[in-house]
Amino acid sequence: MLGLMKGLGYTMKNLTRKKVTYDYPNKPLPLPDRFRGIQKFYPEKCIVCNQCVNICPTDCIQLTGKKHPDPTKRGKLIDTYDINFEICILCDLCTEVCPTESIVMTNNFELAEYSRDELFKNLEWLDENDENIRKVNKV
Amino acid sequence: MAEEKGLEQLKKEAAEKAKAAAAAREKGAASAKVKEEPAEKAKPSPNQHILDKYVQEIENHLGKEILEDSYINRLSKDIPTLVAKPDTYRKVAELLKYNEQLAFDYLSELHGGDFETHMEVYVHLYSFTNQQAVALKVKIERSNLEIPSLVPLWEGANWPECETYDLLGIRFTGHPDLKRILLGEEWIGYPLRKDYEPYDVEV
Amino acid sequence: MIRTEEMLLNVGPQHPSTHGVFRLVIKIDGEIIKEATPVIGYLHRGTEKLAEDLQYTQIIPYTDRMDYLAAMTNNYVLCHAVETMAGIIAPDRAEYLRVIAMELGRIASHLVWWGTYLLDIGATSPFLYAFREREMIINMLNELSGARLTFNYMRVGGVKWDAPEGWIQKVHDFVPYMREQLEGYHQLVTGNEIFMSRVKGIGSYTKEDAINYSLSGANLRCTGVKWDLRKNEPYSIYDRFDFDIPVRQDGDAWARYHCRLEEIEESLKILEQAVEQFPQDGPILAKVPKIIKPPKGESFVRIESPRGEIGCYIASNGKKEPYRLKFRRPSFYNLQILPKLLKGENMANLITILGAIDIVLGEVDG
Repeated sequence: MLGLMKGLGYTMKNLTRKKVTYDYPNKPLPLPDRFRGIQKFYPEKCIVCNQCVNICPTDCIQLTGKKHPDPTKRGKLIDTYDINFEICILCDLCTEVCPTESIVMTNNFELAEYSRDELFKNLEWLDENDENIRKVNKV
Repeated sequence: MAEEKGLEQLKKEAAEKAKAAAAAREKGAASAKVKEEPAEKAKPSPNQHILDKYVQEIENHLGKEILEDSYINRLSKDIPTLVAKPDTYRKVAELLKYNEQLAFDYLSELHGGDFETHMEVYVHLYSFTNQQAVALKVKIERSNLEIPSLVPLWEGANWPECETYDLLGIRFTGHPDLKRILLGEEWIGYPLRKDYEPYDVEV
Repeated sequence: MIRTEEMLLNVGPQHPSTHGVFRLVIKIDGEIIKEATPVIGYLHRGTEKLAEDLQYTQIIPYTDRMDYLAAMTNNYVLCHAVETMAGIIAPDRAEYLRVIAMELGRIASHLVWWGTYLLDIGATSPFLYAFREREMIINMLNELSGARLTFNYMRVGGVKWDAPEGWIQKVHDFVPYMREQLEGYHQLVTGNEIFMSRVKGIGSYTKEDAINYSLSGANLRCTGVKWDLRKNEPYSIYDRFDFDIPVRQDGDAWARYHCRLEEIEESLKILEQAVEQFPQDGPILAKVPKIIKPPKGESFVRIESPRGEIGCYIASNGKKEPYRLKFRRPSFYNLQILPKLLKGENMANLITILGAIDIVLGEVDG
């Protein structure tokens, strides 16, 4: 009986403590800057080096480039850029290898959709995903 | 326009950097290779005497030509490694467990691997009484994938052997309940084999 | 006349007390379990096969998903294996960050075990208290790595991020707080008579059995084997810390409970010392080539995870992908003893025994 009473004492003590729960859907969840959420893509920065495609462990990134319209300039421009969020695990490796930081993480993590097809995000969508962008991307 | 130029510059710089880094990497790799080789030959491993003891003990009890090979695996924290033959594997394991000098009472790990020309079973043993470790390996012909089970010696080999059977198709004779533990009995093929072809490539 | 018949009962694969998708087919005679057959593999994702086509850096996020309650140790075992093979030595600061992250993970993992175990055997509130403290750890690790569970934090030769501003201080402040809470836990649960009668003498096995069945972690230490790889085969920088290995003699669920709670205390000790010794400055990543190619050969390393010995075997043919990768997953080995423990037991003890082993199904199935 003594042990039971002691335990009850602990419970009573905790009644006066501050609440620790989040009011999540009503208030946004406080997240640290480093948090890895859905990527933001800057098409103008991309040099079509394909490093993100090569490093992706789940092969969820697909991109195509086109020749620079100005024939005097070398290099390529990005044409299409898709990330399949059905299989993306937000591991951060694509942003880690990107030499121009044209793909960065944001703090947005809500990805629920009514159809799987909607999880296929293209260049425009990723470009417009420009809220809560991570400030520091490289150490 | 000015901004665009800046971007252009940035891209160029990044590309150049990548090139330079690649060149540096190649150089580094080449020099590292040169350095490594002489160092390797230099001094014997601190665990050499332990390996000698094991081999001596095995030769004393089971005779010569029981082991196919024995060496110190420098890549694996200098662990003494014994390679048994398929027909002596069980005998060696028994000795490793019951001999007082060896007394490996704890089976830490058992798994197989497909090396295309042959298959291998790798066993990591530890002795709590003598505070020593050994890696026991055995090479099996791909045409005859059968090997005695270690379950009668170490109960802990039960599931790992099932897993090896499941993923590689190595049969362990004398195992009390050899089943396809992870994939289920209906699964066709052995996925960890190098020549395995998935049923549906897309999935 | 009362007559009982043998009955086949499926526990799981969807059952809250199995902590994942785990099925247990039991044959019962009245209340007594005659035979128990674990059925696993529902969560098998073929990590080892997938890894054969991946570079070492790419495998790290996959390791997060095995033992998802303590992903830092999984990250570490892979990096450690590659480092051992390639002869890479991580800088001091990185090792300290790794140890702090791993020990925080160990505490978080034991807290989940403590909470859910008591939830399983009928006490609801400990779960809430445990998750309150765990949430603090998760938040800290989130700040450090950018994810709450699947950290992908370590890299071959170091870590990805340095500690953020004020983070070390947070860990420093967490240690006394956690000690205080731990005392509260003992007050809440350990002395509770109902709890004691549920776990004392339940699911006990001998030292010989534990060794024979390849158990590790608290499952081994509860039988009196003083064995902890952090002490016995020191890796990383664990030899710089002063801590004990909690051991109990009885080998029952009660002993395992104490081992795990005391391990939290020991982890706190390590954290305290690590924070104190934490180097002011320095690199967090050794000089490693961008594409890591370990030399030809094979390597097997093992380290101490919250659940026991986690090992990593790599066979390399000098390419950037491993030829064969194998993880020794402690939960997989620990679960083997379950049929033996359940035989002849009362039905009501099933969950008590299963829970005390502390399995993570992501790890059991690989």
